[in-house]
Amino acid sequence: MTAFFDILIGGVFHAAVLFLVAAGLQLVFGVQKIVNLACGSFYALGAYFGISSVNWAIAAGLPPVSFLPVLVASGVLLGVIGPFIEALLRTVYHRDEAFQLLLTFALVLMFQDVLRFFWGANPQQLGNLSMVYGKIAIGAVQVPTYNVLVILASVLIAVGIGAFLQRTRFGRILRATAENREMSEALGVNVRRIYASVFTLGTVLGTVGGALVVPTAAASLDIPVELVVEAFAVVVIGGLGSMRGALAGALIVGLMRAAAISFYAELEILAIYLVVIVVLIARPAGLFGKPVE
Amino acid sequence: MNQNRRKILKALGGAGAIAAAEPYLSFPAIAQSRTLKIGIIAPKAGIVGTIGECGLRGTLFAVDRINAAGGIAGRKIELVVEEETNPKDSIERLRKLVLQDKVDCVQGIVSSGVSLAMGAVAEEMKALTIFWDGTTQDGVKETMFNPRYIFRSTDNECEAVMASLLAIKYWKGKFVTIAGINPDYSYGRNNFAAFQALLKKFGVEVKVVADQWPKVGTLDLTSHVAALKAAKPDLIFSSLLFADLPIFMKTAHGAGLMEGGTKFVFPAAGFQHTGLKKEFTPEGMIFGHNTLYFDYKDGSALQKEFVQDYVAKYKDYPHWEADRAYFAMLVYQAGVEAAQKAKNAWPSQEDIINAMEGIKVQSLGGPGHMRKDHIAEQTFYQGLTTHKNKYDFPTLGTLDIMYSEQLQKPPGMDFWKWIETAQIKL
Repeated sequence: MTAFFDILIGGVFHAAVLFLVAAGLQLVFGVQKIVNLACGSFYALGAYFGISSVNWAIAAGLPPVSFLPVLVASGVLLGVIGPFIEALLRTVYHRDEAFQLLLTFALVLMFQDVLRFFWGANPQQLGNLSMVYGKIAIGAVQVPTYNVLVILASVLIAVGIGAFLQRTRFGRILRATAENREMSEALGVNVRRIYASVFTLGTVLGTVGGALVVPTAAASLDIPVELVVEAFAVVVIGGLGSMRGALAGALIVGLMRAAAISFYAELEILAIYLVVIVVLIARPAGLFGKPVE
Repeated sequence: MNQNRRKILKALGGAGAIAAAEPYLSFPAIAQSRTLKIGIIAPKAGIVGTIGECGLRGTLFAVDRINAAGGIAGRKIELVVEEETNPKDSIERLRKLVLQDKVDCVQGIVSSGVSLAMGAVAEEMKALTIFWDGTTQDGVKETMFNPRYIFRSTDNECEAVMASLLAIKYWKGKFVTIAGINPDYSYGRNNFAAFQALLKKFGVEVKVVADQWPKVGTLDLTSHVAALKAAKPDLIFSSLLFADLPIFMKTAHGAGLMEGGTKFVFPAAGFQHTGLKKEFTPEGMIFGHNTLYFDYKDGSALQKEFVQDYVAKYKDYPHWEADRAYFAMLVYQAGVEAAQKAKNAWPSQEDIINAMEGIKVQSLGGPGHMRKDHIAEQTFYQGLTTHKNKYDFPTLGTLDIMYSEQLQKPPGMDFWKWIETAQIKL
């Protein structure tokens, strides 16, 4: 039973990490219909900037235990880059999807050099800071409290975005714009402002995600490409543009990976893409995606 | 116009005559006025970026010392640095260094994936190349038995062989079940296989209860740790060596994997030594520092000077890639100077290569030499970790030192056959 819970926690933690990357991707695609490959770069930027922010905070005399709010604040602060990048993307809104993909991939490469310029080539870590909150032990099952906080943060973000989209006026406008941009514009919605806001929110999801996860991992220049590949498996399974899909897809990928690692480690990657293939055959639009008409 | 053409033809004829007579002439004054160009190809980014950076610092230390002493046989060194990335692009950079920059020697390469591909190209181009940490092994199988222009590092399995011997020496009879978590490429797979082969050779019967193969650079190892914990092994062998290693240790500590007396054998942990903090790195684990242990109390004056200089300049402690890079430069220097002395003139590349074969040097980590088949032999350091030191990371409380002649297969021999038949002392 201990082994079961250890594997389950491992899977859910990985799902939480993937959700934080995929959520921004889904939100932006859902409203703006742009596949933003740079979502992994925002995550990496959040991770690097989070490390620097925590180091500055500790050097300034803040106790190590305060690192969690510092990380969240640093991720939110990075949202300022969102409107600028969205302004760049405006040039390809009406062009072929291939142009959009090329532009966002160019952003991935440019961000890699930006990260290298500011933080150097070496992976950065926060030492053992994630352990300052201790561990939760139930019998032989032990899990760092911080990992539980990351899982909770993902759940909160999922619930928060769901409530925001369903229950708020702005959320309804967003959904209406996603459904029919021309009609929304005709009804007086400032679509340009909506797009800038959505993209900024998507950026913040990525940067906060990266900042939150980095104490348990490391920030490296390889993150953007590594994560975006797995995030795509998540969105293909869940359905492109669906937040519920992102949550379900992340859970499926996280748990499949954990089970494969435990029972037959060689299948770690294969198991995930087998699910992707099955979903693509059985439900091409994904579990929660809308079929293209 | 005709006159000009005649002048050019005369000049070319003269140059041709000089070229033809070159083996019989020497121009020490001219030769020594030109700097000696050495091309370096080292990783600068990604999970191996830190390795390349440390190697480059070792090279810079060597070059500063050599140039301060007047250069190599009177010629100052000038470095041309290129980045090691994938095999294809790295080979392009080798071509650029040789054809465009016209370097006298190429050094560097951390990944055997790159050096394996580059070896044949360097041979074809007749480019004198010394690999820091790269081999021309396909797995454990040597692909170039008698190369002329390339010089390779010690076999990648040396550290695994040494760690295995130490595990048997310290813990034989104290473990029955083992698990592995090793990077998913030939280095990780060969290391774990070598460990098991040596256990068998020394009559240690074990059962493998888990083997994990995370791909290089995996930054979430929670599920791997859960699988290891579920298997309840007596001993865990891991040749993780990049940024994933501290993450593994942190995750393992958080999940309680280090409680309950599990033994740890980490032959390549030295690459990450300063990142493995005491809080999550236990005492008493077998920890490999490869060919440079920065805290070796009986280390040479050279090593102490280097470590002091490194700490002052970079606020960090060096690992073995600095030694590999320093060793490569010293082998080249010793080869040039020996050949120059024998010839009493500036030596040709062929003379330098001949002189490098079998040459002995004192590297940062200790003595080493270049075998006749162009494979290095060096001094290796491993031992059991302790927290009793002034650092925030563990050092070695018990130190074992072995020369690689005891750890790598002799020229031309199959690795697995060698393990079976070699007279290896514990």
